[in-house]
Amino acid sequence: MNAPDRFELFLLQDGEKKITEKVFTGMSNTSDFILMKEDHTLGNLLSENLKQAPHVMMAGYKIAHPNVPEVMIRIQTDGTITPREALVNICKQLVASYGQLGREFQKEFALRQYADQGEQAGLNAQGQGNGGF
Amino acid sequence: MDYDPMAMDDSESLGPVVKISQADKQRVKFELSNADIAFANSLRRVMLAEIPTIAIDLVEIEENSSVLADEFIAHRLGLIPLSAEGVENLLYSRECDCDEYCENCSVKLVLHAKCTGDEMSVSSRDLVPTADRISQNLGTPVIADEDGLGSLILKLRQNQEIKLECIAKKGIAKEHAKWAPSAAIGFEYDPHNKLHHTDMWYESDAKAEWPMSEYADWEEPPQEGEPFDYDAVANRFYFNVETAGNIPPETIVTEGIKVLQQKLAGLIHELTEGDNENGNGDYNGPRSPEFNGGGEGWQDPGYTTPYGNGGNQSAWGGGGATTPYGQTPYGGAGQGGWQ
Ligand SMILES: [Zn+2]
Repeated sequence: MNAPDRFELFLLQDGEKKITEKVFTGMSNTSDFILMKEDHTLGNLLSENLKQAPHVMMAGYKIAHPNVPEVMIRIQTDGTITPREALVNICKQLVASYGQLGREFQKEFALRQYADQGEQAGLNAQGQGNGGF
Repeated sequence: MDYDPMAMDDSESLGPVVKISQADKQRVKFELSNADIAFANSLRRVMLAEIPTIAIDLVEIEENSSVLADEFIAHRLGLIPLSAEGVENLLYSRECDCDEYCENCSVKLVLHAKCTGDEMSVSSRDLVPTADRISQNLGTPVIADEDGLGSLILKLRQNQEIKLECIAKKGIAKEHAKWAPSAAIGFEYDPHNKLHHTDMWYESDAKAEWPMSEYADWEEPPQEGEPFDYDAVANRFYFNVETAGNIPPETIVTEGIKVLQQKLAGLIHELTEGDNENGNGDYNGPRSPEFNGGGEGWQDPGYTTPYGNGGNQSAWGGGGATTPYGQTPYGGAGQGGWQ
């Protein structure tokens, strides 16, 4: 069989770099970033958030072929920051946002468990019958 | 390029908000608001495909006189949910020093059954993990039915016998769906279709023919004759995360977030590698530690602070034990710090 191993979808090969920058000379302040062994999860997330970022003029991504796990992200800035800086900023912002989401979720979940336990305790107290009150 | 993760720009000043509407052993339903669709969808994708779990990957069959072919049984065994509690301490076999598998990168389960009566069912309860595993519950078949049998593997008739040995390994669902932690993830937004992201097919009246979403009451229905809002974007998302049994549903969410953060931290690390030589250096972020093994500097049992000013332990900071998942294995919010 000549089917590629499934883990080639997410495992970098020997010496392969996760991300490389290629300056795109056809436009000003523009770079292409090639992400190896990634998919729409990062491609869409990063390019959509880059579009909303300050100093970013243009951002977009493509996955040239569905069987090839490579993402290309093109970023053009207004020149006050480099495309690389714009990308790093977005990554940091997203790490923080997901961090906040995680905290929010755990807080909400803990509150919920607390409430459920309260309910349980209430039921138990009822089960033990009238304690003289 | 200073960056303070606590100070977000104005549009983000609130950040994502979570409201849980149901949580039990099987599922957690929650609303994620004040986030954009890419943010929500990436979380959904990562929960489906990239959270490490454990599943049977190798089967050695010693005796099979059942009516089912060896490979058929092997496939069924692969799909049986096994508890992933403690899987963060298990190595990927491809990153382990051993030849094929060992106790550091696998869990062995044995199955032996012979039908002495008329007919018997062999189910995942009969799969017995051997003693030498790194974590007490890791690899134990998930039993969620009332009878306590687990999933049916095969049936035997009189004098038929099955005897085999299984090797369960760590993996992610991108490689094979058997490693998926979630049985399904419900994901919806805009219950009244105000954004027109969907076309409702209909015979005569879409409103009468389509059932209302359970979240329809949560959002304002459109007014009669309301003009289309071209600037509107989706910002409330309704998740329904259902577990296959191997990881508790709330942990699927927290682990999904963690995996995404690791991916992003890996990018930050690679993109700023040169910058760090001169000074504030200790940036030992994971080089996507879970995935691109072989890279240098991945000896730590956990991840060193992937992002931020080194030192203080963060969510994925030092040793698996401080991760939200590892600290209070299953159940409950330890105060695993989120960066
Ligand atoms: Zn090993």
